[in-house]
Amino acid sequence: MKRKSPNLKFVGVFLCALALLAFASFPLLSQQALDRTKIPPAGKAPVLRVPTWTRTTLANGAELMVSEKHDLPLVSFSLTILGGSYQFEPASRRGLAGITAAMMSEGTKTRDGDALSSAMQLLGTTVGVAIGTESGTMSFVSTSSKFAATLDILADMLLNPTFPGDALERLRAQRLVALTQAKAQPASIAERVFPRVLYGSAHPFGQNVTEESYKAITRDDVVAFHKTYFQPGRALIMVSGDVNPAAVKATIEKALANWSAGGSKPAFSYPELPERRATTIYLVDKPGAAQSTFAIGNPGPPRNTPDYYAIQVMNTMLGGLFQSRLNANIREEKGYSYGVSSSFAFGKGPGPFRAGGDVQSAKTDAALIEFMKELRGIEGSRPVSDEELTTAKDALIQRLPSTFASVSAINGAIATLWTQGLPDTYYQEYGRAVGAVTKDDVVRVAKKYIDLDHLNIVIVGDRASIEGPLKATGIAPIVVLDIEGNPTTSR
Amino acid sequence: MSTSVRNITRIAILALACCAAVQRPPSGGSSAGSDTIRIPFESYTLPNGLTVILSADHTTPTVAVNVWYHVGSKNEMPGRTGFAHLFEHIMFTGSGHVPYGLHDKLTEGVGGGNNGTTSNDRTTYFETVPSNYLESALWLESDRMGFLLDKLDIAKLNAQRDIVKNERRQSYENQPYGLVSEILSHATYPASHPYSWSVIGSMADLSAASEEDVKNFFRLYYAPNNAFLAVVGDFDPAQARAWVAKYFGDISRGKPVTRPSAPPVTLASGQRLVYEDRVQVPRLYIEWPTVGVKNDDQYALDVLGSILTGPRTARLTKALVYDQQAAASVSAYQSSNEDVGEFFLMVIPRPNHSLTDLEASADAIIEKLKKEGPTEDEIRRAAAGDELAFLRGLESNLGKAMTLCDGAGFHGDPGYFRTEYQKSQAVTAADVKRVANKYLTDGRVVLSVVPLGKLDQASKPSESKKVTIEKMPSPEVKR
Repeated sequence: MKRKSPNLKFVGVFLCALALLAFASFPLLSQQALDRTKIPPAGKAPVLRVPTWTRTTLANGAELMVSEKHDLPLVSFSLTILGGSYQFEPASRRGLAGITAAMMSEGTKTRDGDALSSAMQLLGTTVGVAIGTESGTMSFVSTSSKFAATLDILADMLLNPTFPGDALERLRAQRLVALTQAKAQPASIAERVFPRVLYGSAHPFGQNVTEESYKAITRDDVVAFHKTYFQPGRALIMVSGDVNPAAVKATIEKALANWSAGGSKPAFSYPELPERRATTIYLVDKPGAAQSTFAIGNPGPPRNTPDYYAIQVMNTMLGGLFQSRLNANIREEKGYSYGVSSSFAFGKGPGPFRAGGDVQSAKTDAALIEFMKELRGIEGSRPVSDEELTTAKDALIQRLPSTFASVSAINGAIATLWTQGLPDTYYQEYGRAVGAVTKDDVVRVAKKYIDLDHLNIVIVGDRASIEGPLKATGIAPIVVLDIEGNPTTSR
Repeated sequence: MSTSVRNITRIAILALACCAAVQRPPSGGSSAGSDTIRIPFESYTLPNGLTVILSADHTTPTVAVNVWYHVGSKNEMPGRTGFAHLFEHIMFTGSGHVPYGLHDKLTEGVGGGNNGTTSNDRTTYFETVPSNYLESALWLESDRMGFLLDKLDIAKLNAQRDIVKNERRQSYENQPYGLVSEILSHATYPASHPYSWSVIGSMADLSAASEEDVKNFFRLYYAPNNAFLAVVGDFDPAQARAWVAKYFGDISRGKPVTRPSAPPVTLASGQRLVYEDRVQVPRLYIEWPTVGVKNDDQYALDVLGSILTGPRTARLTKALVYDQQAAASVSAYQSSNEDVGEFFLMVIPRPNHSLTDLEASADAIIEKLKKEGPTEDEIRRAAAGDELAFLRGLESNLGKAMTLCDGAGFHGDPGYFRTEYQKSQAVTAADVKRVANKYLTDGRVVLSVVPLGKLDQASKPSESKKVTIEKMPSPEVKR
């Protein structure tokens, strides 16, 4: 009946008011007074509530932070170790950190792997062990009533693992199968080749896990890695949720009584980056691929760069949101892709800037032209509009409350401050710091951190159909690589 | 459930939506009693048929809005497969009073998010926003429910068609093993059955979709009487009721919707298929037709899945991955849709172990379970994680909104999660034994995916029929 409402967009305020008056006395028509063209204004902005936390140190030197949240009977626990595979893994043993993490669920002096698994199932939870490139964690979320019992299992895995040799062989075999499967997946290939191209094989960022490195890992390596790595002198224990700080400290001291002092925070010193090369297309052949996977970028700055906020605002505009320049153009306007984006991988080291996504094979050349256009655009050829700047800042600042929506999210948000060496007041000051970024800052950091003259353009796709069109764009010379990132000799 | 989404980069948010949720009782107790399984909500229906569900939770100053339409790929006509999902994309191209792009600006652009997802059974659209943006979120959703066709733009339709085709390429065709679910659906259900085609649809059908199709589909299925609106999070319920009335109240009721007939099927005989893919490692898939969310056997089938695979003590995992060390991984689970369901098994072999041997080993373990049933201890372990999963689901406004809408849409009760929880907890060893014997029969589809040119790597290669995208299988069915 009223699917088409009168469009009042071009009617003056005066006429609107008349219309309102006229319809007011006719109840059946009064709904038409609703002016749907008017965007409902936002209400008063909610006050930012940043969680608070206590800080203390355990007898063995590990730091302890506790953040209380009592609305649900849930607890999130994490034991974070500063430093990861890049600091503690020999280059010839890539994959050792991950294998060691998995081996910690394979049995303790008093419980074999099955017994550990059964005990966790009955508690309704799982203790996860994950060692990343610059930090590692042992963590779980439990109901508050199961917290102490779950912590006991975590402590057992940390302090008394037996590392059975047959488990190592099984895990090695499983991981080799996973590696073989990954080599059939375009995104996984790009994941391996892109850092290799950017950082080279002499830099830890460019060193991938390989069949050889998996096969080289011995049980002694695992035992040694565990012993060296898991030291309280480089550990943060973070607890969020339905706990009392004093009581939880006593529980943790008791559970980890046998974890003796030792270790220190590692230096995050990385080798020099390889010499920059002129912009090049690195093509990896994936015969018959329906799409081409793009990864375009260069090494970026570490998290502690003073340009952090400006970079976040710039990247949000370029490729951080659905309506950011890259996705609005390449997906929404052109329809070449299901989605493209860009990001900076911030950490202690020079993590990469990367723009990319999967593009229909026949549009590979056209998409590259658009990627390059948008990168030039953010560096100044397409001026930043007021609306873009406001949207990018609002998106960043106003998403902060959802950072604290769950016990595990709170846990992560606070632990990040510790791993990245950020001040306790970081979240309170975040809005002001983002708000201070100017249009000039955006262009300045785009130019500084996206090096158009030395860009690495990795494309994984059907060489037979895309190489010619890519060459015809004249954007950059093409070097063909194999799926490990080594130059091929053919052609 | 097979689902396609508007934007894959934000799919993580959906993981939360799979958990139902509960409210802690005032006493603060957390024993796994049915008293703890609670989401406070109020529900009412507008005169135009729109069901409204409100659930306030002031823990975080955000709010989730979810609009759930009772239409999915099963409502499509043959020759127009993939249309429900393509339509979902069109819902983001602007509507009568909302120019293209504003929807993202008022959600993601203010620190929130949005997305849409399509399954066989329903299509759902959601926003998460800071709580002071609730009114604009309701305005956005009401405008596309009421006025989508006012600004239907053919250029935008065509762009979304290309995007969806790229979604198909990215998530199915260019993905190793990506076409498995499509092949299994075709093999399990007869061509006329609404669950026989995939949610993403075929390339040819996506090309064929017309402007007229969009209009007809919208008028029939996107009416308030076919929709459920949930608002969950930090808001004032009285204010929300007023805004819902203001923005949704004047949208006209549509015609009654006829639901397609989609009964569960039984396969008269087994099918054995082989598909060549650009992969290096073969895989074995087995699918048994079972039941959907309206049949209580689904709960015992869920438990059966976690007794067979998952933790290292699960029967198939322990036997194939740990004891025999013949598989790199194995997984089994029940998937329940509105009308039908399937029980899946997937095995990834280790080198030098054939799919034929692995199938025989898996069958032996399953036969033993069918004969003896699970132990009480296995049942206890399977149920022990339910409470934590419910509680964690409570931490997500969006998760709760999805749970409430699923209950309302599929069961006529937003609070159905409570019944589901009780039924899950009540599953016995005898129930699991019974459903294993009833459903895990010879009436199944066995699909081997092998590297190109390696048909001999299939399970029982000489008995396996080759399938291609162009030549999809079809079952012999007995009703």
